[in-house]
Amino acid sequence: MNIAIEELLQKLAISVIDGKHLEAVELTKQLLALNHTPKEILDNGLLAGMNVVGQRFRDNIIFVPQVLISARAMKFSLAILEPLLADSNIPAIGTVIMGTVKGDIHDIGKNIVSMMLRGNGFKVVDIGIDASHEKFIDAVKKENAQIVGMSALLTTTMLYMKAVIEKLKGEKLPVKIMIGGAPVSKAFADQIGADAYGKNASEAVRLAREFVDQENNN
Amino acid sequence: MTSKERISKAMQLGIPDRVPLMCQLSIGHYFQNSKLDPMDIWFESEGFAEALIELQQRYNFDGVLINLPGRPPDYKNYIKKIERSENETKVIWKNDCYTVIPSDDNPHFYQPDGSRRFPMFEEIDPEKLFYIEPWDITEIKYPYKWFFETEPRNFNDFFPSYHQNIIRAVKQIAGDKISIHSEIFSPWSQFLELLNYENALMAIMDDPGKVKAILERLTEGAIALAKLQASEKVDAILISSAFAGAGLISREHYIEFVLPYERKIIAEVKKEFDIPVYTHTCGSIGDRLDLMLETSTNGIDTLDPPPLGTVELEEAKKILTGKAFIKGNIDPVNTLLLGSSDQIKRDVEWRINVGKEKGGYILSSACSVAPKTPPQNIELLSQLVETFGMY
Repeated sequence: MNIAIEELLQKLAISVIDGKHLEAVELTKQLLALNHTPKEILDNGLLAGMNVVGQRFRDNIIFVPQVLISARAMKFSLAILEPLLADSNIPAIGTVIMGTVKGDIHDIGKNIVSMMLRGNGFKVVDIGIDASHEKFIDAVKKENAQIVGMSALLTTTMLYMKAVIEKLKGEKLPVKIMIGGAPVSKAFADQIGADAYGKNASEAVRLAREFVDQENNN
Repeated sequence: MTSKERISKAMQLGIPDRVPLMCQLSIGHYFQNSKLDPMDIWFESEGFAEALIELQQRYNFDGVLINLPGRPPDYKNYIKKIERSENETKVIWKNDCYTVIPSDDNPHFYQPDGSRRFPMFEEIDPEKLFYIEPWDITEIKYPYKWFFETEPRNFNDFFPSYHQNIIRAVKQIAGDKISIHSEIFSPWSQFLELLNYENALMAIMDDPGKVKAILERLTEGAIALAKLQASEKVDAILISSAFAGAGLISREHYIEFVLPYERKIIAEVKKEFDIPVYTHTCGSIGDRLDLMLETSTNGIDTLDPPPLGTVELEEAKKILTGKAFIKGNIDPVNTLLLGSSDQIKRDVEWRINVGKEKGGYILSSACSVAPKTPPQNIELLSQLVETFGMY
């Protein structure tokens, strides 16, 4: 890799870390103009930047506002790269179905986890808020997903997670299920039969990676 | 001591006859456990007042928090039809927007196509803002208009006359025996509700100057509302500042976007009224109790313990004793909603013993009591406070 390209990739990663979306778009365009591959721009620019964001978020160096603008920068650049990546048939690390469960219209937690997963190379299918078990099951089948992530902010709606888990298990779908949200805990996850509880977005990414590694090792 | 005197003593950081008891109940808990219909609780000032007192008496609370604004008496004139099903009531308004009232949760207002509308940050002119009421019957509009009113109100006469009706109704029913608290939304909470959370949080990174101009304006409205409530002779005012914990923002952002505005509200209210003003912030606030004290708040509500939050009661007592009263710290989910009666007894007895030391403690759930919390679990609290909370 020549020095100019390496510098541009580094700048792109920094623009993601700093949440400068317009700069990220400009740098992505420059790198493509230099015939750099979309996959390398994604891996060594955008994902490299998001990786740092994830670490800083996990260590409480940065907080939700900084994560949101970093994710926005990645999203803007990804909009340019995605059509090119689709042409090159590059597989994602894994596919995650993300949704806020039925009765709950809060989406910030789900959105942050979705952004962080995307920023770590996962394909995320966001089925939105107020999602019924049918919606989760249909999405898992359609996308052949390996992981389901459920979010709830309310003590009323967290109880619906159990219904979704029972239905997913009833369908014998080979998915791992992780849950998160303000009122949710590890004990609650165990109690309702979820495979894991993610305390925050970084934790959710670590869990998703573990699930995929387990599947690859089997 | 009467309930009112007991809470007053604790709010003054003193030692009453026993630890007072007062929890904030979620709206869904009223829907589930009051004898009133959720429609009456949500849409009628007198209905909510009645539900507040009904459950205060059932649970032997020493006070109530009035956490809804008064409702327009003519709201029924705007209804096209009402559809009832097992788990919810749908009110369809004459403009085809609708409100869904679940049997166990907060109602929400929707556009005819099922969407919810929020203004964009770019379109906001700070000078057009005064106060955002997240619990208005209709959605949050910009510029802000109450209910189905067609024009924004003049800032000198911003709050509708019915706004204080619940306070008046509660005082009429309860008399002067219990402690009656009202609620205003912090400028930071109003801002997050106005733009929806994600857009608001990105805005503080994109244009902090404009955000501060917005917060300045919303502070003026919060001060005006707090003064109106104080004029109605409530016993305390709660600043609801749910989103100012570490789950969302850093200490630095707290210092920049929360602290100065809440400090100003408290200072302005205190200039005219001798009334406690305290603060409710959810989740992880263990790292910022010192900053919350810098607002000159009289007390801190919630103090969610792990795993919901980060506040250990012994640590909070060390920081807050003699400076601010503590109301809260019982885990509303893992103890009150999901815990066994033995677990509740152990947990609450321990909190009473730690909290009552040197006074200034009100026994309470940390965040609101969840809708489906079994009422017998809350009834246990008054037995426990009578047994272990005497001074």
